[in-house]
Amino acid sequence: MKINLKKELIGHIILIVSLLICLWPIVFLVSASLKDLNQIFQYPLNPLPENPTLSNYFTVLDRFPIFQFTGNTFFIAITVTIFKIITSLLAGFGFVYYRFKGRELLFNSMVLTFFIPMSVLIMPNYLLISSLGLLDTPYGVILVEIVDGMGIYLMRQTMRSIPKSIYECAILEGASPLYILWHIILPLVRPSVISISIMFFINAWNEYFWPLLILKSKTEYTLALALPMFISAEGGSEWGLAMALAVLTSILPFILFIICQKYILNTFIQSGVKG
Amino acid sequence: MNRLSKSGYLLFLPAAFFFSIFYYWPLLVNVVLSFFSWNMVSSKIKFVGISNYTDIVQTAEFYSVIVNTVLFVLFLLIFNFVLPYIYSYILAYVLKYGKNLYKVFFFMPSLFSLSVASILFLWIYNPLAGPIDAILQIFGLDSPRWLKEPILVIFSISMIIAWKVFGYNFILMLAAMMSVSKEMIEAARLEGASDWVILRKIIIPQTSSSAIYVFVITVVFGLQYVMIPVNILTQGGPNQGSANLVYVIYQYAFVFYQVGKSAAYAVLTMLLFVIFAWWRNKVLDKKVYYEN
Repeated sequence: MKINLKKELIGHIILIVSLLICLWPIVFLVSASLKDLNQIFQYPLNPLPENPTLSNYFTVLDRFPIFQFTGNTFFIAITVTIFKIITSLLAGFGFVYYRFKGRELLFNSMVLTFFIPMSVLIMPNYLLISSLGLLDTPYGVILVEIVDGMGIYLMRQTMRSIPKSIYECAILEGASPLYILWHIILPLVRPSVISISIMFFINAWNEYFWPLLILKSKTEYTLALALPMFISAEGGSEWGLAMALAVLTSILPFILFIICQKYILNTFIQSGVKG
Repeated sequence: MNRLSKSGYLLFLPAAFFFSIFYYWPLLVNVVLSFFSWNMVSSKIKFVGISNYTDIVQTAEFYSVIVNTVLFVLFLLIFNFVLPYIYSYILAYVLKYGKNLYKVFFFMPSLFSLSVASILFLWIYNPLAGPIDAILQIFGLDSPRWLKEPILVIFSISMIIAWKVFGYNFILMLAAMMSVSKEMIEAARLEGASDWVILRKIIIPQTSSSAIYVFVITVVFGLQYVMIPVNILTQGGPNQGSANLVYVIYQYAFVFYQVGKSAAYAVLTMLLFVIFAWWRNKVLDKKVYYEN
């Protein structure tokens, strides 16, 4: 393709301006967390804090059980991720490995759950979790999130791309399906499994609504739930502290993304896009 | 490939079990509860026939909720479907440099929890001292009360969702744009086709299945995401001005304790989504590319 200098320039200007608008709240978030309250109010637009201070962070750590919130969040996110990966791997593999009547129907009935709006499900699920006596426990949050329609879709999509001959060889050798999945297929699809796991983890980490309904006592709170505690009714809030906690809440997803961004973006692109 | 053996069923069992319990059973429960009157706590539960539905439809609230939902969908489609579409076209076909860098940076807001985004924007929207107010004051303007005025509140909340979702939809669309056959475009160029013709005759048709996917997730997820800032920032206000179909289901159950009406709203919402999913599936069947 020939480069058209004028077009290239205009295009970049449009994109860079939009990018700045998109990233500005992030810059702002970090810089506000490093300012004292006076500076936040006096110079809301200045991205560079004068005399940057970590005092907001220390105050947050001092006044709130942040480590407990983090532990709660981590426990829920990692458990949800592991269960989602197991159920998606098994079912996704089943859809590739077996041919049977009603396969497409079963597949669709699982994948289409992805499009059921969560709010339609919350009240009946809340009643169920409550009757199981799991309200106010992390298990009440986790139990409902053990399966994921998109996970099954992505796993099937990935495993489909493995040449049939590999399956056929393994079957001729007399290997059982679980053996084939664990010893032959899994090593081949490991990059996708890792990036799907990261996607599940970040989503579970960030989740707000369902944990809000299930977790009542502060000792069970996740980071995402703790954050809105800062805003009082009329917004006479401690913004510096809120921003510091917001940074602490967001830091792990960010690190995961930066380490694995290539994997993550590629998985979205390879698998997500065709569906 | 292989006939399903007895042990083969076991592969599907965990997923099928949890889908049935936590996705399909609740839909049934909603249908049943929508014919009853119940406040979730007492043991008194009364069969009321279809009066939950008729009550809902007769209130003015129902229509304002529908209008609000449509407005949310419109704003979300502009920011999370139309804009990513245009931007991905620019990046894929107008620009030569910087594709990867833009991808990574535009994706970043997607990493944030909507709880974080809500608090962050609550400050950004602060009409007395927030950053937008500071910008407007440079031009001598007063900041509107972003979250307190009807309709404006819907725009403001949509912007929070737009901020989070834009990058995700953008990289999906970009991937689709990049996968359009280069040979075809080159051939068309040699024939003297203009950019406009190439866009209309090659790029739009070839990216249509991805575009429809992005369209659908923009609407379906957009409406679900909206619940979070609405719950944190406005609780449906001002005067139910930011309440939408997805939010009132929650509100009736957990704020007003009218389980029957919540269920009725849930059934109505589900019907709309079923139509949507059916449409997506139909399109998918036609367009999707299977490797096998």
